[in-house]
Amino acid sequence: MFCRNQTARATVARGSALEMEIRRGKFRKSVFLDTSQDSDIQKKIDHEIRMRDGACKLLAACSQRDQALEAAKSLQTCSTRIMAYMSELQRMKEAQVMQKVTRRSSDAGPMDDRLPCKGKVAISDLRIPLMWKDTEYFKNKGELHRCAVFCLLQLGGEIFDTDMVIVDRTLTDICFDNTIVFSEASPGFELRVELYSCCSEDDYSAGSTPRKLASKLSSSLGRSAGKKLRAAMEPGPCSPVSNGGAAPLLLPVPSVPGPKYHLLAHTTLSLSHIQDSFRTHDLTISGNEECSYWLPLYGSMCCRLAAQPHCMTQQMMSGCLKVKQCGGDPQSWTKVYAVLKGTSLFCYHQQEDVEANIEPAFTIGINKETRIRASEKDPHSKVQNICISNQYGGEEVTHTLTTDSREDTHCWMEAFWQHFYDMSQWKQCCDDLMKIELPSPRKPAPVTPKQGSLYHEMVIESSDDLSSTVSDILARRMQELELRSQLGTSPTWMSVFEENNAKSAGRTRHCTSRLSGHSPCTPHRLPRSPASPHRCPRLGLLSSDASLTSDSDSHCSTSPCSHHHGWPEPSSNFSLLSSSPSRLRPRTLSLDAKLSTLRGRGYGGGGAFQCPCQPPPSSLLAPLPISSRSPRTQRSTQTTLSCSSSTSSNSSSNSEGSHSPESSEGVPFSRPSPARRSLRNLRARLDPRNWLQSQV
Amino acid sequence: MSFVPGQPVTAVVQRIEIQKLRQGNNLILGFSIGGGIDQDPGQNPFSEDKTDKGIYVTRITPGGPADVAGLMMGDKIMQVNGWDMTMVTHDKARKRLTKKNEDVVRLLVTRKSLEEAVKQSMGGFPRP
Repeated sequence: MFCRNQTARATVARGSALEMEIRRGKFRKSVFLDTSQDSDIQKKIDHEIRMRDGACKLLAACSQRDQALEAAKSLQTCSTRIMAYMSELQRMKEAQVMQKVTRRSSDAGPMDDRLPCKGKVAISDLRIPLMWKDTEYFKNKGELHRCAVFCLLQLGGEIFDTDMVIVDRTLTDICFDNTIVFSEASPGFELRVELYSCCSEDDYSAGSTPRKLASKLSSSLGRSAGKKLRAAMEPGPCSPVSNGGAAPLLLPVPSVPGPKYHLLAHTTLSLSHIQDSFRTHDLTISGNEECSYWLPLYGSMCCRLAAQPHCMTQQMMSGCLKVKQCGGDPQSWTKVYAVLKGTSLFCYHQQEDVEANIEPAFTIGINKETRIRASEKDPHSKVQNICISNQYGGEEVTHTLTTDSREDTHCWMEAFWQHFYDMSQWKQCCDDLMKIELPSPRKPAPVTPKQGSLYHEMVIESSDDLSSTVSDILARRMQELELRSQLGTSPTWMSVFEENNAKSAGRTRHCTSRLSGHSPCTPHRLPRSPASPHRCPRLGLLSSDASLTSDSDSHCSTSPCSHHHGWPEPSSNFSLLSSSPSRLRPRTLSLDAKLSTLRGRGYGGGGAFQCPCQPPPSSLLAPLPISSRSPRTQRSTQTTLSCSSSTSSNSSSNSEGSHSPESSEGVPFSRPSPARRSLRNLRARLDPRNWLQSQV
Repeated sequence: MSFVPGQPVTAVVQRIEIQKLRQGNNLILGFSIGGGIDQDPGQNPFSEDKTDKGIYVTRITPGGPADVAGLMMGDKIMQVNGWDMTMVTHDKARKRLTKKNEDVVRLLVTRKSLEEAVKQSMGGFPRP
């Protein structure tokens, strides 16, 4: 009726008595039954069946595609879990029938039946590269063919799924950010990673479109999309098997209309793949190009697989001992409370020290090179001593331990043997403790929904130093502005200033609105931007301005563009003070013009080791009156905003001279907002004569 | 560390694991990077080979997470969390380091002193 050797499949025949019993949940009363373990599994099965029913109902009720995809994913996961639990139950029953001991424990049995300790295995940073053909990009002008993918990870009886990711041809890799931790893994574990995918095109639910229309549609769509659509329409060779083509089902999966996931690729990882760094593994790909759920995988998967065996993280043995170092005074036994954990035997003065986290009196290394043996019986107490020998840099150091009774010695020896056995089984995992980060429960920072322009993404850094800096600068600006009353327009950044005062972190979308098209002296971030204030410490109004506006010249030409982009430049381009010549430059839109003006102004080359904005304060005085007197370039003199934080200069081409003008000294750790950075980087990249630096 | 296009690059690397520090809404690492395939490599003060377009550490904030983890100024970053850094644009490199959902970055970095240390321990000949 069933095959004894196959432990991974549920092979109960349909309609058999056993199946009926399991279905009805009545197996508890069966004679084969055992104990709490079975009932645990049964509870889990029941739970999963309920989840599955829920997912089916949800799937039937959903109208939106993403909900349907998520529900289908849960359905897939539940089905797989049910299969796994069923097969485990099966195995347990078989074992009982065979009258083997079914319980596994980590207590040491007789020597030959020693079992290695279990451990935690964590897999994280899963990344699967894709290899799109150029035809996807260049010839296929149609809609984006998208697939929803997720990974199922199975180890022992634990099955986890990752979040679902939508993949289209704009992605180069499928990345799963989840960290999955399996808690009870034995060294001989097999971690099976399966990648499921499902075509995610709207309106292409197979079977719902009439044939003729379908063929008309498919011929008028883009090449690959049409191909896939055709494949989806016909029940081709890749027709969906909703359980991913696994073993025959014990309980039929209810067939629910809606998206179905198919197995796209899989691989199995084991102890040899564990390393404390990132490694690439090969994937076995199922399916072919004709399938609707196909994605061009490169064929490998990159991830970090780490393990923490319990022998490294838990206390394997502890107790009171007397330790003597060989070569010392034969009578100098030290009483200690010893704890065996990881690669050492920690010896504390007293037991309380362990909880108090006080440093141990000394530590004896226990690793692969340590040799432990029992010495001859001590004539006085008839208790054997345990000798531990280590090689410390070429010298052999031996410690002798003794306990109060023979049983204790025996226990310690047992513990040591078990520890060595564990280390031999877990191999490289016991060299050093690998870090496993538990997935942090806090939610990631809320992502602002895109409102269509970068204006909305501007954020002022919330930091006290920053706000005072900004307020200072703005106050000064305001004073200057008094000089230019003929401008007539009140600087829009005034509102920013108020806002700044009120709350340091805020959005400044309104600031930019008025400036569109107006400010030539845009806060254009040129890589040459001057050193941050720390370089030109606020000696006075002018010098700080200088620092902040140094590259104001740049870019009048791109100012309009920047505005259209929403101008996130936080930086302080108080263009007012920018060196005057820039004012006279006509605005242009093209990059060429911009670069040529740069060249023209002799901003050559190096900028690398010099801050171009080092003009002595006096020279800055000149521009000031000039600009105020020349409203002809009225636009040019208009103030530009700056909701700046003192991370004014963004990437600058300078090097040691002005180290990373990314942030002011006062706030060494602040970082400009993403929107600012992106626009800044865009401009910085435009000029190839730079060597950008960014603070991270 | 020059490379021959098409040939694999080998380097002696050190693994550095940096725990990001949370400051308000930001996660910071406490260092600055320079370089990238879109940058001018001749201006890199830390690289030995002035055609090297890799990502270099240009500044370490004293006491910051990177400093604590052992990153040094002048290090060339080869990999970040499994992603390659030897052939990326500057912005890509920055983005890889500043992902908001990652609390830890594991870098592989190389520096001249590492290469020399290995050479000396293997070769045993005096360096000029």
